[in-house]
Amino acid sequence: MSCPILTRRGMLTAAAGAAMLPFARQAAHAATPVSLQLSWLHSVQFAGSYLAQKNGWWQDAGLDVSLLQGGPNAPVEPPVVSGSALVGISAADYTAAAVAQGAKFKIIGVAMQKNPFAIASLSGNPVTTPADLVGRKIGMALANTPVLQALCILNDVDFDAIEIVPTQYSAQPLVSGEVDCLLCWETDLPVAMAINGIEARTMLMADHGYAVHSQTYIATEDSLRDRRAELVALMSGELRGWQAYQTDTDAAAELTVKMFPDAGLDLATQKLQAERQVPLMFSDLTAQRGFGWFSDDSVQANIKTLALLGREVTPDLWDRSILEEVHG
Amino acid sequence: MMRVASVGPPLLGGVLLLIGWGALAAVLRGGHLIAGPAEVAGWITANPGLLGRALGKTLTNATLGFLVGNLVAMALAGVAMIWPRLLNLISGLALVVFCLPLIATGPILRVLMGPGDGPQIVLAALAVYYTTLIPLLTGLRATPAVWLDLVHSYGRGRWSELIHVRARTALPYLFAGLQIAAPAAFLGAMVGEFTGAEQGMGVLTIRFMRALDVPALWAIAVAAAAVSMVVYGAIGAVARMVLHDRPPVILSPPRGKPASGLSRLSQPALLIAAVLVLWWAGMALPGMNPFFAKSPQDVLAALTTAPQAAATRDTLWTALTETAVFLLPGYVAGLMLGAGLAIALVLVPNLSTLVMPIAVALRSVPIVTTAPLIVLFLGRGALGTISLVAAMVFFPTLVACLHGMRQAPGQILDVFHIYAAGRLRQMVHIRVPAMLPAFFAAARMSVPAAILAVTVVEWLTTGRGLGSLMALSASVSDYNMLWAAVAVVTTISALCYAGVAVIERRILSVYAPEQVRP
Repeated sequence: MSCPILTRRGMLTAAAGAAMLPFARQAAHAATPVSLQLSWLHSVQFAGSYLAQKNGWWQDAGLDVSLLQGGPNAPVEPPVVSGSALVGISAADYTAAAVAQGAKFKIIGVAMQKNPFAIASLSGNPVTTPADLVGRKIGMALANTPVLQALCILNDVDFDAIEIVPTQYSAQPLVSGEVDCLLCWETDLPVAMAINGIEARTMLMADHGYAVHSQTYIATEDSLRDRRAELVALMSGELRGWQAYQTDTDAAAELTVKMFPDAGLDLATQKLQAERQVPLMFSDLTAQRGFGWFSDDSVQANIKTLALLGREVTPDLWDRSILEEVHG
Repeated sequence: MMRVASVGPPLLGGVLLLIGWGALAAVLRGGHLIAGPAEVAGWITANPGLLGRALGKTLTNATLGFLVGNLVAMALAGVAMIWPRLLNLISGLALVVFCLPLIATGPILRVLMGPGDGPQIVLAALAVYYTTLIPLLTGLRATPAVWLDLVHSYGRGRWSELIHVRARTALPYLFAGLQIAAPAAFLGAMVGEFTGAEQGMGVLTIRFMRALDVPALWAIAVAAAAVSMVVYGAIGAVARMVLHDRPPVILSPPRGKPASGLSRLSQPALLIAAVLVLWWAGMALPGMNPFFAKSPQDVLAALTTAPQAAATRDTLWTALTETAVFLLPGYVAGLMLGAGLAIALVLVPNLSTLVMPIAVALRSVPIVTTAPLIVLFLGRGALGTISLVAAMVFFPTLVACLHGMRQAPGQILDVFHIYAAGRLRQMVHIRVPAMLPAFFAAARMSVPAAILAVTVVEWLTTGRGLGSLMALSASVSDYNMLWAAVAVVTTISALCYAGVAVIERRILSVYAPEQVRP
């Protein structure tokens, strides 16, 4: 029903994929085209998916996956709701907000066990604990004010004593001294600064009680009912991809740069980013239960933090059945 | 000697620009704000393939959008001339569509059109059609009454009027529209890439901004500006080749009485009805899920009967007042700057080699690249915001006024030459009055442009007002709030547009009665 272009694109991807694969695979079976909506521009942030695609692990599972790039004006939820993407990469807070607006989403897997939000500062004027924020100027998007508020409540810090400067998402205001610190992801602006020779200090908010699952896989209840086999196949490919990623992040970075020559990616940056996101994505829990897994405890912790963000959710928002089938 | 004189000023202007750019970059070295000419040149020579492919992609989309947008504008203008009763409906609908903010339309276009270049082309077309339509409608009316009388005396109708008379007098205004469109199409295609495109200049801009790769970021900006300048210059050159007739004297008798109260009321009512019908029809398109595509009744319910309706109204009202504070000063400053610069350039033509490249660059480089510089010099307060809005608004006014002043009737200029009247006197008595129709066309089309500009600036720098509210609503899937904000933005644009049109009617009924329809 939706978008003939999508199918055409799917065929293009299949052709491109087939070119990379041994002959035996392409003729094997007609794969089902599905789309995975990424949350941002192509980068090593999604390298597990690229590994799955390049190694034909989705093809093996009977899927022909198109990876739809995100962007500053490309919210993940609309394509997933409308069905043009089977699965989207979101985060627990955004998913909770969308569910509150009537979308029937479930979180079916969690790529980033630890939330990547961090406070970045320069070594000469470091912010190492939430208490250090008092009296400092922080550069951030005003849209993230609830995030900072939640951090303050969790750590008993006076929110009103922090001066918020609305900035673009760039390290420039910090580097030029306009602000004392930035609210950003552990894996992007600090990496950019490091590549530019500026060693930044980061304080991971997840280490101070801020528990929000990030880079979560979301699907609609309809898909969970009617398209289970495709969901299982998609997630099993992701799983294999991210396992391969964990064993060699440098190779994952090299593949990312090679697959997207027009994306303006820098290999050194991608390698460093790939390395820095490992502790966020892999833990004792994933070592034990596999990539993407989430425990009941972490769900409870998420519910608590989400409440501070003004989102009332129940454990029903999470659905482990796809992961169970993948692992089972 | 002649040749040296004509090459000298552009060369000088270019050299001055390069020196100024280099000096600015040297002063700000280390701040990661701006890269100098040498750094930019270095990056471009090191990455010709990457830049070339991105440029090719964005340029292709921009060109297609430019063609589609301008053809639609011409078709709409033609229809409005042949069936004058449709004029208000067409310009009203065109305004409403132009007012739809990118943050609302981008994701919907992506869902409707899927991956690929569709949304980029549509957004480029949307960025240009309005600024061509409005000057074109003005130009189609800038017709000497005697020429029309001649057509009528042969018993011919509106079609012949359009083909033989109006199309010809409208040409200068069409070229003004096309020149305004050149950088706008490029920027529109770039910003369209923010909706999830795989490659292009917009994608690279986002990438390099985050990577703190200042030379790369400015190389993209320079390339975008250079392409826009070349296209702007090329359209100007074509205009000079085509337009060799001296502008005629437009002597037009004042028209009859203004329309009755009833028909004045019926036109807005018709427009509102048309907007609602199109809105409902749009919701019926496949893929338009009610989760993100809200119908008029959804928005009405969110504002009136929903449990949080009062809170929604309060939020909207607060955002609206925050926006309004910057809107009017930014709009007026942009108009004055545009008209003032146009007058200065006609009085001192050599200035244009210095001013026009900067003007085109300001219009074609995404604000994300230049905003840090403006924030550095003018701060994040009112001055910075108003300046950014003015910077985004002044270009159409400048171009429209430049073309408008060229419409000073040749015979009257001859009379002034005979009496050896100076440039200033010519300006006051002939050129400024001749410019007025174009100026008011610019003033009308700048209304929605200013509102869109202020919302973008709010989103990126101040974090307040309607722009910020729309961005926040989209990020937390509050599409009721987003569409309510869109409705507010559109309504305000339409009201301000109508206000400017009233002032225009009063002034033009004296200076250019042919522009004022009975």
